[in-house]
Amino acid sequence: METPIKSKVFEQFNEATKTLLNPVLQDWKKQGGKIIGYFCSTVPEELITAAGLTSFRMRATGSTSTEMSDAFFSSINCSFPRHCFNLALTGEFKFLDGVVCVNSCDHVRRIYDNWKRFVPDTQFIEVMSLPRKTDPPQIAWYRDEINLLREKLEKHFGVKISDKTLWKAIKLHNETRRLQKKLYELRKKDKPPITGSETLAVMVAGTAMPKAQYNDMLRELLDELKGVEGPGDHRARLMLVGGILDDPAYVKVIEDQGGLVVTDSLCFGTRIMWVEVNENIKDPAEALARYYVAERPSCPRFYGEHDNRSNYVINMCREFKCDGIIGERLMFCDSWLVEHYMLGQDLKAAGIPMLKLDREYITGGVGQLRTRAQAFLETIGR
Amino acid sequence: MLVGGCDVGSATGKAVVMRDGEIVSYEIIPSTTKPEVTARMVMDKAVEKAGLSSIADLQYIVGTGYGRLKVPFANENISEITCHARGAQWLLPTVRTAVDIGGQDCKVMSLGANGKVLEFVMNDRCAAGTGRFFEAMARVLDCGLQGLSELSLQGKNPATISSQCSVFAESEVVTLVNEGMELADIVAGLHASIASRLNSMVRKVGLVEDVVLTGGCAKNDGLVKALEEKLGVTVKKLPLDPQIAGAIGAALIAAEKVSKQTMKSPA
Repeated sequence: METPIKSKVFEQFNEATKTLLNPVLQDWKKQGGKIIGYFCSTVPEELITAAGLTSFRMRATGSTSTEMSDAFFSSINCSFPRHCFNLALTGEFKFLDGVVCVNSCDHVRRIYDNWKRFVPDTQFIEVMSLPRKTDPPQIAWYRDEINLLREKLEKHFGVKISDKTLWKAIKLHNETRRLQKKLYELRKKDKPPITGSETLAVMVAGTAMPKAQYNDMLRELLDELKGVEGPGDHRARLMLVGGILDDPAYVKVIEDQGGLVVTDSLCFGTRIMWVEVNENIKDPAEALARYYVAERPSCPRFYGEHDNRSNYVINMCREFKCDGIIGERLMFCDSWLVEHYMLGQDLKAAGIPMLKLDREYITGGVGQLRTRAQAFLETIGR
Repeated sequence: MLVGGCDVGSATGKAVVMRDGEIVSYEIIPSTTKPEVTARMVMDKAVEKAGLSSIADLQYIVGTGYGRLKVPFANENISEITCHARGAQWLLPTVRTAVDIGGQDCKVMSLGANGKVLEFVMNDRCAAGTGRFFEAMARVLDCGLQGLSELSLQGKNPATISSQCSVFAESEVVTLVNEGMELADIVAGLHASIASRLNSMVRKVGLVEDVVLTGGCAKNDGLVKALEEKLGVTVKKLPLDPQIAGAIGAALIAAEKVSKQTMKSPA
C-alpha cells in the first residue's frame, strides 16, 4: 500500500516520531519553554500543560542498545524501560526539565529509583502512585496524588496552578481528543485516506509538542484529508490491541502485507482519546482522577476491568468493520500476556479472528513479523 | 495440468511437481546461503525427475518457506503456515492439528475440515524445538541425527533437562555426561523437554485429533514417541515424506490458482 498522504503538516508529525527533540520542541525550548517527560498515559498531562510546561511522553526512539541499562535491569525485563533508561544514562534526555514516573508496571516503576540516583542532573523527578482498582476510594486516592504533583510542580517551577488554569488545560486536551477522534472517523470509510502507520505517527506526535500548536496542525491535516480517498487496495481491515507501541514502522510491516490497520485499543491510540474528561464536575482534580482511573478505556494493569476491555475491543472492531484483530505485546509483559489470552477466548466466542504477536521495543525480526502477518491474512481468507 | 511447489527452508529446499492432483516427483536438498540458488537447484532436480525439460513446463508455481520472497520463478508466495496445513490435510484428510518442526522454527496449526488454518502459534525466536536444537545435541553427543532418534527410544529413565534453550541444554548435557549418566537416558530427556515445549504450544491452539507431525524432524521417531507421551494421544504417520508437506501444499495452491484462471477465461 502506497502512502496516500502528501502533506507538509503530516511530514512534521512524521518527523516528530523519528526523533526525541523534534523541531517543534526545539522552537519551544528556544523560546524558553520547559519540557516534562512522563511515563505512561495515566499521568495527567493536563497538569503539566496547566503549569505552562510541555508534556513529552517518554519513548526510546532511535535507541540501538541497552548495554548501559542492562547493568541495572536484566534481560528478562521489558525492553521499553531498558532502552529508555539507556538513553537517560547516555544523556539523550538532557533536554527534559523534569520527569514524572508512575507505577504503571514494575519494570517502568524501577526506572524512577534508578533515574533519581544515577541521573542526578534531572532536577525535577517525581513518581505518582496509581491505584490498581477503579472504585471511589481509588479515585479519591488518585485525586490526592494529582494534587500532590500539582503542589510539587507549583513549587519547583514557581507557578500557580489554579482551578481555572487547570480547567483551561483540560478543555484544550479534550479538544485534542475530539480532533484525534475525527481523524479516526475518516478511517471508517471503505477507502480510508490515512493508513494505520500514518495515524500512529499523528498520535505519537501529539505526545511530543505543545497541545495548542498540535491542535492547529491537526486541524490543518483534517482539512487536507476532507473528501480524500485512499487507494483501497488492502486485503483486510485490522484492529491493533496492546500496550506501548510508538513505532509506525512496525505497523507498516503489517500493512505492507495488505492488512490495513483502521483502529486500535492502544495507549498511543484510542485509549487516550476515545473518552473525554468530564467538564461538568466542580473540582478539576476530581475530574482528572475519575478520568484516569475509571472513565477512560483501561489497560490490563487495572484489576476487575477485563470484561469492559473485551467489550470495548469487540464494539470498536465492529464499529470499524474489522476482519481481524492483532494483539501485540512487549516481551515479558505479564499484564498483556494474560489479557491477550483471555481476549482471544472472548473474540473466539464473538467469531473474530485474532493473531497474537510478541515484540521487542525496537522493531526487529521483520521477517518473522511478516510471516505471521501474511499467514494471518491467509487464515482469515483475505 | 502441471504445477509446482517450492519450499525454501532454512535447512533444506524442497520441491514438488504435481500433475492433475497427483505427485509426479519431489526433491529435497540442503539449503545454500542464497535462497534463489537453492530454489533453482531443487526445482530443476524435481523437474528433471518428472521427465520434463524445464521449469517453464509448469503452469503455475507457488513459493513458500523462509526464502519464499526469493523464488525467482514463482508466480506468487504463500506463507509456510498455510502451505504446511494444506499439505498435511491432503496427505491425511482427518488431520485437525499439525505440528511442523523445521530447521529454525516450529509451529502448531489447528485446521478446519477443509485444510484451512483456524489458528496458529509459532516459535522462531529460539532454537528450542527445532532442527537446529537436535543438530546441536547430536554434535555434542557425537551420535548423528539418526543415532539421536535411536538412542532416545532406548532411554529407560529419561533425564530431567530443565533448560529448553539449546545453549543451556548443551551445558546440562555435558554435565550429565560427566556424571556418567546413560547416554540413552540423556537423549530421551532431551526429547521429553522439547516435547513439553511443543505440548504447551499445542494447548495454546487446542488439542484436536488427528495430530500429525510435519517437517524434517517428523522423521525422528524418538520425538514422535516423546510427543505422544506428552499429548496423551497417538500422532498419526503421514503416508509420504513429512518433510515435503509444505511444498505439497504450495503445489496444491498452485493447482487451485490454475483451475480458477481456467474457469475465468472463456473456453
